[in-house]
Amino acid sequence: MKKLYFFTSVFLLAALTLGMSSRPTPKVFIKKFKNGDYQLRVNSKPYIIKGVCYNPIPIGKNHEYDWWSDPNKPWEVDGRLMKEMGVNTVRLYQVHENSDEVKKVIRGLYEKYGIRTVLGSWLGFWEYPCPFYGDKKFQDRIKKEVLEMVRLYKDEPGVLMWVLGNENNYSCLGQVNPWSSDEIDKEPDPQKQKAMRAKTYYSFVNDLTREIHQIDTDHPVALGNGELVGLEFAKEYAPDVDLVACIIYRGKTFGNLFKSLKATFDKPIFISEFGADCYDAYLKKEDQNMQAFFLESQWRQIYGNLAGNKDGAGNCLGGAIFEWSDEWWKHNQDSSDSWSVQDTESNWSNGSYYFDIKAEGNKNMNEEWFGIVALSKDLEQGINPRTNSNIIDNKDSVGAGVNKRIPRKAYYVIREFWKKPDLNIKRKKK
Amino acid sequence: MKKLLAMLLVLGLFLPAALLAEESPKEFVFYADKNAKDNHYIPSGWMGDTGDIKMNDQSAVNPKTGTTSIEFTYNAKKAQGQGWAGVYWQNPANNWGSKNGGFDLTGMNKLTFWARGAKGGEVIQKVMVGGIKGTYPDSTAVEMGPVELTDTWKQYTINLAGKDLTYINGGFGWATNGDLNPEGATFYIDDIKFEADANLKPESKKQEMMPFYIYSDRSSAKNHFIPSGWMGDYGDIKYEGASKEDPYLGDSSIKVTYSGKKTQGSGWAGIFWQNPANNWGNVDAGYDLSKAASLTFWAKGAKGGERIEEIKVGGIMGEFSDSDSAVIGPVILNKEWTKYTIDLKGKDMSYIIGGFCWSANVDNNPEGAIFYLDEIKFE
Repeated sequence: MKKLYFFTSVFLLAALTLGMSSRPTPKVFIKKFKNGDYQLRVNSKPYIIKGVCYNPIPIGKNHEYDWWSDPNKPWEVDGRLMKEMGVNTVRLYQVHENSDEVKKVIRGLYEKYGIRTVLGSWLGFWEYPCPFYGDKKFQDRIKKEVLEMVRLYKDEPGVLMWVLGNENNYSCLGQVNPWSSDEIDKEPDPQKQKAMRAKTYYSFVNDLTREIHQIDTDHPVALGNGELVGLEFAKEYAPDVDLVACIIYRGKTFGNLFKSLKATFDKPIFISEFGADCYDAYLKKEDQNMQAFFLESQWRQIYGNLAGNKDGAGNCLGGAIFEWSDEWWKHNQDSSDSWSVQDTESNWSNGSYYFDIKAEGNKNMNEEWFGIVALSKDLEQGINPRTNSNIIDNKDSVGAGVNKRIPRKAYYVIREFWKKPDLNIKRKKK
Repeated sequence: MKKLLAMLLVLGLFLPAALLAEESPKEFVFYADKNAKDNHYIPSGWMGDTGDIKMNDQSAVNPKTGTTSIEFTYNAKKAQGQGWAGVYWQNPANNWGSKNGGFDLTGMNKLTFWARGAKGGEVIQKVMVGGIKGTYPDSTAVEMGPVELTDTWKQYTINLAGKDLTYINGGFGWATNGDLNPEGATFYIDDIKFEADANLKPESKKQEMMPFYIYSDRSSAKNHFIPSGWMGDYGDIKYEGASKEDPYLGDSSIKVTYSGKKTQGSGWAGIFWQNPANNWGNVDAGYDLSKAASLTFWAKGAKGGERIEEIKVGGIMGEFSDSDSAVIGPVILNKEWTKYTIDLKGKDMSYIIGGFCWSANVDNNPEGAIFYLDEIKFE
């Protein structure tokens, strides 16, 4: 009996020990070094996110267009170009409701071109009339959607991480899509109201994060955030997020972003949206040099703040350029006629992009000209899945084709930078 | 004979240049005395309230050297409604960058001048070298100030070491305003010149000492930054930098009247205090305020209940961006003076162009707002 007891104990101990030691390493995780630096690891290897924001809306269509189901498979044409450039990640803001098509895109980009996908959720940010983050029913509905997304795609080998929200933090300040609740409305001090909204929102994101971690241990969860605004609240109410995914438009430099984050909310950062447009609103002409100048400068800073760079903050995991290809619908979203014209009118100003800040009314940002790849009204065929080329023969049935892609200077400049990142070269302004 | 001619030509053409190269000039004179043959540049670039300025370039009243100095009288009457005035020395006269007339002053590394006030206490907001733009822009822009004059001659130096002096059209300039000199000012300048100083080193960016005032009193030489960055419905704003209505400290405070009339159709308005004036990040002129742990100011509303959406430090983005930003708000003002603090701990304040900013909107101030600010300072 003693012998049996002994063997049982040994067996249990061994099983427990083996079980613990054989717990699989997550496919994607963030390693924190002793010096406080962070590094993204994929299949246990360091991974720098060399990403692009991806939303391939063709000329003449708007954001409602279902490109996922486009028979020409624009992502195949783009995936090939991306691979040639060195892109290893696409960022998708929100998945389509047709999960089969979504899986085809994620799987296709990964299997054919080795490109991984960051999947995001707006967290109901654009719902009319506003996102009611203080309402339990609203929270439950969004949570259901997010967890459904995680369950559907967590086993796709191409998935890299989840991003919760985008610039939703601005709604806590009342700047965009302001929302409130009865409790908040009772508070007379507007600064306290702001803090109450931030607590509600970031607590909700934290709750979501914890539930995702229960379902999926293989992928990190990022808090999407506009700039670093509100992260002092996130530190308190969203401690379980694995990283922050920030949208930053600061021109040629990110300034003290990385160090400031370390001091505010010590989490690794993925610059999930940054970039520059290529239209000079002052001279009223396309300027690819301007875009390439800003993007190269921004990538130099991203690399300067990766783990192991003694001069940087060591907390950057990479970035996603906004954006892969131009979107011709953005300037006038309500007028379908304008979706077939690449509008040159600007409707917002950012002094950090200073070359054309003298434009009328200082409006220098041209929303339809952010692509590092231009679109042409000429069509080219998508990839023929049978022959794995864009050569069409009579056996194939294809649609009308996709808008021809024309890489801009930034495409080539960043391609060369990624091949040989040199952080010390200071190029001329233009 | 031809050979001799050739030799003479060669010597004639190249020898002086060679000698010149060996003995590079040690100074380049602007103004020694009226009609001195070494003078360069012309004080032709009158700016701002030009009607408030009088100049006598051959004043015989107690010159520093020689027989004359330049006397400026600024009466602060806002003849052109600007509230400030100044003069640039240019070459040729009235060259705002349209003519290729600048000098190559490579080899010089400082500008010196002597100045005194008629009474003492006159404040020149800033003195400048370069900074004129246009088709032929100056190769550098350097500013120094404010300078509070004494009633005796004193020499001032602008360090230009390490600066690109290959093209300088705006050789020297001064500017001041009525807030700093509410009763006007009479002052004298003499012996202006560029010099080569072998021992001078480039000026490293110095960390400013605390407290560092943005606004102390209307005419205080301690004031920094200019409330020049009017935003949104700028036509809705009336700014008085010398209000005598119950200041918190000293003899004056700032009174802001925001009408909320949406003059420009924006629905909001605000003012950024900048260095220098109107610098939206296009001029490399940030202060190093690394020693600041907070910005404090006192504020009150005329009625109480006025709502300021944001009060901010830093955040100007341009070719030269502020190193950080910090913000508080919304703030609902009391009728009594109340102290507010913007915490700067952990912030990178090493480069600040936009020292202070407020913004308000009509949604929360449908009847407009009148409010007062005083004792704005970094500590």
